[in-house]
Amino acid sequence: MQIKKILNEKEIRDIEKLIEKNYGCKINLGKYKVFKTGEEKIWIVEKGVDMELCKKLRCYAMGMYFGKLKRNNKIKLSMEGAMMIGKIAKKNVAVIDEGEGMKFIEGENVIASKLIGCEQNNFVIIKMNEDILGVGILRENFIENLVPKARRINF
Amino acid sequence: MIPDAEKLFSASTEWKSIRVNTLKIGRDELLERLSEKFEVREMPWYENGFFIKGDITKSLEYYLGYYHVQEAGSMLPPLVMLPDKNDCIIDICAAPGSKTTQMAMMMENEGIIFANDVNSKRLRALAHNIQKCGVVNCIILNHDGRFLWKKGIKGDKILLDAPCTASGKIIKNKNMTWSYGRVIRMSKLQKRLIESASKCLIDGGTLVYSTCSLEPEENEEVIDYAIKNLNMEVEKIELVGIKTRRGIKRWGDKEYEGAEKAIRIWPQDNLTEGFFICKLRKY
Repeated sequence: MQIKKILNEKEIRDIEKLIEKNYGCKINLGKYKVFKTGEEKIWIVEKGVDMELCKKLRCYAMGMYFGKLKRNNKIKLSMEGAMMIGKIAKKNVAVIDEGEGMKFIEGENVIASKLIGCEQNNFVIIKMNEDILGVGILRENFIENLVPKARRINF
Repeated sequence: MIPDAEKLFSASTEWKSIRVNTLKIGRDELLERLSEKFEVREMPWYENGFFIKGDITKSLEYYLGYYHVQEAGSMLPPLVMLPDKNDCIIDICAAPGSKTTQMAMMMENEGIIFANDVNSKRLRALAHNIQKCGVVNCIILNHDGRFLWKKGIKGDKILLDAPCTASGKIIKNKNMTWSYGRVIRMSKLQKRLIESASKCLIDGGTLVYSTCSLEPEENEEVIDYAIKNLNMEVEKIELVGIKTRRGIKRWGDKEYEGAEKAIRIWPQDNLTEGFFICKLRKY
């Protein structure tokens, strides 16, 4: 793993603001060390980790992949990033029913039963009952599935 | 050597075991959800472990990472270690990460775990499981465990779930091949690994050694080696709700120190794979 940058407090706050802008909720990333790898990927790791020591080791990965910064102030959350935010998100949330939920898990595009403050062509958090299933992109008539292949399940 | 051998070969395998991922969901909530879909039995020795009948890798809860499919016996080494939120733990042979993610869960995602594995192909599975469980306190390393001590990291506690011949898995793989030469090669490797582990451990720190093998050469003999060469002493293990048996003290013309405090889990006793676990302290 090649760490491109360990984010300082201001840069972490900028990401928190980006999340607030996109999902209408406040989260505290300051309790983690936050760093960037290639392609603007954002990772979070326990604050006590000695990053200098880690640089001397053959490190394959560190902490949890949170999401990827995209153009136009958008962020593509990982499934776990979406789970962290999904329960308190107030916008860009697409609610789907159980039938669509099973399709979503299989990797198919789906149709939402309710859209909460969703913006066209932005990343939306997919919610089914109280569970956060991941993220997709809201297109004109459907939600484009972004579940990684390794996480999909064929029922 | 095998007690109740006839029971071993007829032991049931239709029940699979899972561990609740309390980093994502509460134990009772998951139990309620799974009970609506599967036949579920609670594990007598671990509140976050369940036995389930059915296809456990095809459920919404599995997709969400609410539980991790983990062999029941493999949940025991972390229970013996009892990781704490403030610990720095080194898991020397971590892939595919069942015990690593269990320890992270027990630490409530605090403290630090260095999860190491020499096999770069297996690191992918380790990273996948760490991500899926929502673990933030793990650093995945790719070093040869025999030389990890040269890298300058020290742990308060170390888990050495050593590579082994895996003969304890016979309950699930009755066609497995076995050779004494492989047992001896593994035993040599395990001694090298425990030596490296002892060097990575702080004075007074705890090392939990485990294998899923039944051979004394891979278990009691390695512990005997650690006691005689590495300034380590064996500590008693307390586990409740599971049938355990003591380590083997004599094997052929060999006599092993520390075997009486190590434990063996036999497949026929608890519906688990066979396991050997020993807790050592460095002085």
